[in-house]
Amino acid sequence: MDPTAITLATTFVPFLAFAVALLFFMRQPVVAKAIVLAGGLVSVAGSLVLLAGGPREPVRFLWFSSGDVTLHFGFIYDGLSLAFGAVVALITLCIQTYSVGYMAKDPAQTRFFAMLGLFGWAMLSFVYAVDLLQSFIFWELVGLASFFLIGFWYEKPAAAAAAKKAFIMTRVGDVGLFIGILIILNTVGMFDIPGLLDPETGLRAQVSPGMLTLVMVLVFVGIMGKSAQFPLHTWLPDAMQGPTPVSALLHSATMVAAGVYLFARLNPLFMASEATLLTVLCISTVTALLSSTIAMVERDIKKVLAYSSISQLGFMLMALAAGGFFAGVFHLITHALFKALLFLCAGSYIHHCDSMEIEEIGRRGGRKMRWTTAGLLIGGGALAGIPPLAGFWSKEEIFAALSHNGAMVFVAAAFLAALLTAYYTFRMIFLILLPASEEHHGDAHGHGHDSPAVMLGPMMLLAAGAVLAGFGGGWLARLLDVEREHHTLLAMLPAIGVVALGIAWAWWDFGRRSAARTGLVARVRPLHTLFVNKWYIDAFYAAVVARLTDLLASFFHTVENKGLDDGFDGAARGFVESGWLTARLQSGWVQSYAGTAVVMFALFGIYLGLR
Amino acid sequence: MGFPLLTSLLLCPTLALLVILATPPARAGFVRWTSLVSSAVALVLSALLWARYDAGAGGLQFTELVPWLPDVGITWHMAVDGYGVALLMLNSLVYFAGVLTMWDLAERVKEYFAFMILLVIGVYGVFMTQDLFLLFFFYEIAVVPMYPLILVWGSTRKEYAAMKLMLFLLAGSALLFPALLAIYHEAGLGTFSLVELAAHTFDRDFQLFVYPFVYIGFGVLAGMFPFHGWSPTGHVAAPSAVSMLHAGVLMKLGAFGVLAVGVRLLPEGAVYWAPLFAGFAAVGVVYGAFVALKQTDFKFVIGFSSVSHMGVVLLGLNLGVMGVAAADAFNGAVFQMFAHGIMTALFFSTVGFIYDRAHSKTIADFGGLGSQMPRAVSIFIVAGLCGAGLPGLASFWPEMLVFLAAMKTMPLVGVCVIAGLVLTALYVLRVFETAFFGPPNPRWKDLPDLRGWELLPRGLLVAVLLFFGFYPRAMLDLIGSTTQLLAAGF
Repeated sequence: MDPTAITLATTFVPFLAFAVALLFFMRQPVVAKAIVLAGGLVSVAGSLVLLAGGPREPVRFLWFSSGDVTLHFGFIYDGLSLAFGAVVALITLCIQTYSVGYMAKDPAQTRFFAMLGLFGWAMLSFVYAVDLLQSFIFWELVGLASFFLIGFWYEKPAAAAAAKKAFIMTRVGDVGLFIGILIILNTVGMFDIPGLLDPETGLRAQVSPGMLTLVMVLVFVGIMGKSAQFPLHTWLPDAMQGPTPVSALLHSATMVAAGVYLFARLNPLFMASEATLLTVLCISTVTALLSSTIAMVERDIKKVLAYSSISQLGFMLMALAAGGFFAGVFHLITHALFKALLFLCAGSYIHHCDSMEIEEIGRRGGRKMRWTTAGLLIGGGALAGIPPLAGFWSKEEIFAALSHNGAMVFVAAAFLAALLTAYYTFRMIFLILLPASEEHHGDAHGHGHDSPAVMLGPMMLLAAGAVLAGFGGGWLARLLDVEREHHTLLAMLPAIGVVALGIAWAWWDFGRRSAARTGLVARVRPLHTLFVNKWYIDAFYAAVVARLTDLLASFFHTVENKGLDDGFDGAARGFVESGWLTARLQSGWVQSYAGTAVVMFALFGIYLGLR
Repeated sequence: MGFPLLTSLLLCPTLALLVILATPPARAGFVRWTSLVSSAVALVLSALLWARYDAGAGGLQFTELVPWLPDVGITWHMAVDGYGVALLMLNSLVYFAGVLTMWDLAERVKEYFAFMILLVIGVYGVFMTQDLFLLFFFYEIAVVPMYPLILVWGSTRKEYAAMKLMLFLLAGSALLFPALLAIYHEAGLGTFSLVELAAHTFDRDFQLFVYPFVYIGFGVLAGMFPFHGWSPTGHVAAPSAVSMLHAGVLMKLGAFGVLAVGVRLLPEGAVYWAPLFAGFAAVGVVYGAFVALKQTDFKFVIGFSSVSHMGVVLLGLNLGVMGVAAADAFNGAVFQMFAHGIMTALFFSTVGFIYDRAHSKTIADFGGLGSQMPRAVSIFIVAGLCGAGLPGLASFWPEMLVFLAAMKTMPLVGVCVIAGLVLTALYVLRVFETAFFGPPNPRWKDLPDLRGWELLPRGLLVAVLLFFGFYPRAMLDLIGSTTQLLAAGF
């Protein structure tokens, strides 16, 4: 079959599902679900067929042309898009299936599933896009779908606020990206990604190094917004206001992944700009460390996972910026699998224990949900980087890439971040598995009851992925057409050691029988305050950025009302008043008329006399 | 000369007007149906024009030429280029949707539709005529009915708004009229024909002196900063369909006038003044967005968003004149006229619906409206997202083209207006958050949602926005050849 037709089906069938479900089946959620799931299935099938077909030449169709802008709509089929497209489709389908159980009692299910369809369409179209502007369009639509899904329970003010925040903060990044894209067009005259990457005729050949740096930094600003990098990361934890399956989707293969994917897509251009790489490296390192520290003290299971996502995204960008293309992409894929799994586990706990607090889940017997707990262990292990789970292999690649790059400070930072990751992950696991006390009344919670099969099935599938994906590195490297170096056991020892240390530390603080279950940070008051308040970044935004915007708006508002409007009213009143003034001359007093006449004649006489 | 499509299009509302004038006021149903039929026929005729216009050949087509007052050189000269076709279509769409939006009007139905149709006639006339005198004549026909429409059927300080609007627009005309006469006399050709005047090269000093009169005269109607004050107040006070026509079409007359008279007849003047006026337009873009952020009334938010979005149009026109990326800038400006017209029509149509049911347009009065009027709210959200420049909706393309030209011509201005996108998103989402999201307000629990035929006008406009959002070629192919001709001069 024609690959173009397959790609069109892969990307646009979810959109059709969205439109049909929303327009015609608002009141038949069962039908709507079936349609969206069928759309998801088509995407999976299509993306797998494409993957099996292997890399091939891109296809392009003319979208429009205006002046010197010619825009194509088309698809790119290299290892990156093929591999990641399949991951996106698979994870989306898993989460859609899981949602059938999770959202079973929600009255607005149709809208939920329709939006999942929209999300799938936007993300898959983004992944396969051959044109930079086409990418940008779907990048924005991914943001739109996130907006609707984060704000799905819009009657909750917190959800509405979180949706708005996500949209605005990513918008701030997008302004940078948009400017960058327009500069690219203005200098090179095209948006075509393979064309731009071409070393002979592409962007690098046509602009000065300074210009290239400017453009790539601007593009990176967009990535910072989307992939939640410091300081534009604060929307992501708030986005937890959406239903848990949404979080799973947002944090794994879609939305935040888009930023990292764009970096990988434009990798050769980033590689050509040293200054940009250093910027990226610094920002992503700060992000990875900062978010880990917040995850260490967070009490809400979804927020721990959210901060861990931010930190892992930082990891990916560190790897990419250090020249570890393969490492970054590999971690993007393994992370997608195990993070989706972790969120689905969290959803399963929340569903049953009716709480998002980690300690509360432990107290209410979360560990008795055997399948979910197994999923948590696998996903958590992968996140922490326990061999031979997926996360270990990809992190190992990242360490290798960083140490090749040379700067020891980044290697050290990466190890520290990995240590903290293992610590906060196992803090979460120990608090659930080994609660200080347990409730024993009734059987409303836990007690061996687990989620229904429709939720457990996708979780098990993702768990299998989280176990096995690490061994797919060689295959992925061949698909991406990159050299992958051989890792000796000796080289892996530091990584293993760091993980072991992190777990041991977590066990000391939270696991052992006599543990205080407060953690080291809690005993250092100032640090604890800093971490709990998320380094006061949101407070800064509220106090400075939001207030500044408001001040400016008030200023312009005053200009409008007091300046322009009142000025106009004053001028109009002036005209009316002057009318009254002249009208007063028409007093009807013959004496005054005669007096005026005499004065005028006298003046006229003087004028004649002087002439 | 083939079938006079343009005159037919003009006659269609004119006949309806005559019929309505002859109808006794009590027969409101007949008045409504007459208006609807005439708007539907006009829509079909506009579609026909669009389909028949030979975009490959470009230039003026469907020419009808009948001498009218040969002594002073006034001719019934009707012809349209790609821009005209697009804007006629815009007017027809808004007219049709506007009639349906006002279907439930109960007060002085006959008079209302008569004035509204008079306005529509004026707009059609401006977009299709190639005679300077007729252009001004139709222009005034379009502007004057606003006064009674706001005064009688309006709300919220309507006397003030109507008077303010009239004063601003007449001040604009006062600048315009002498300028147009000066052009007529300076050329000394004894004709008002725009085609012939365009072929004449005016003295450079004359152009530099007269252009600002033309630009500001028309610019007032286009909501040009800092002479935009009449527009938000007018939007707010006018009844829904009048706001639709007003923001959707009437403001485009101003921008169209700048193109058809200013840029076309006085190119050197336009070039000379472009950097300054581009600066004003850019300020308008950001200024409008900031002021919109502070509004408490739905219609004021939309009113100031119009100032901001029309700023994009004016920015595009001036950038086009500056010639660095002329084609993109002109394409963007004209496309934006169309997209903004449809978008604001949708806004006002939906807000009008909410207002008619709830009798409030204060944003803070609402909350959680999404669960009470899901359809109306969804449609408003589509319009809002279009305003925020979201890809997939029509406004994205023209904004992109204008921003592109701005980045090329005046990079600093470009960066500022693109950064304004954040503000746009902010004021739009602020309305969503306050009015539509959050816990439902029990006060509105009995509000009926859009249903049945009420969906027709809004659905039509949404469909248009989506169509051009995904298939911008439909527009760019139509206006492209006209743009090429125009851009070649700069």
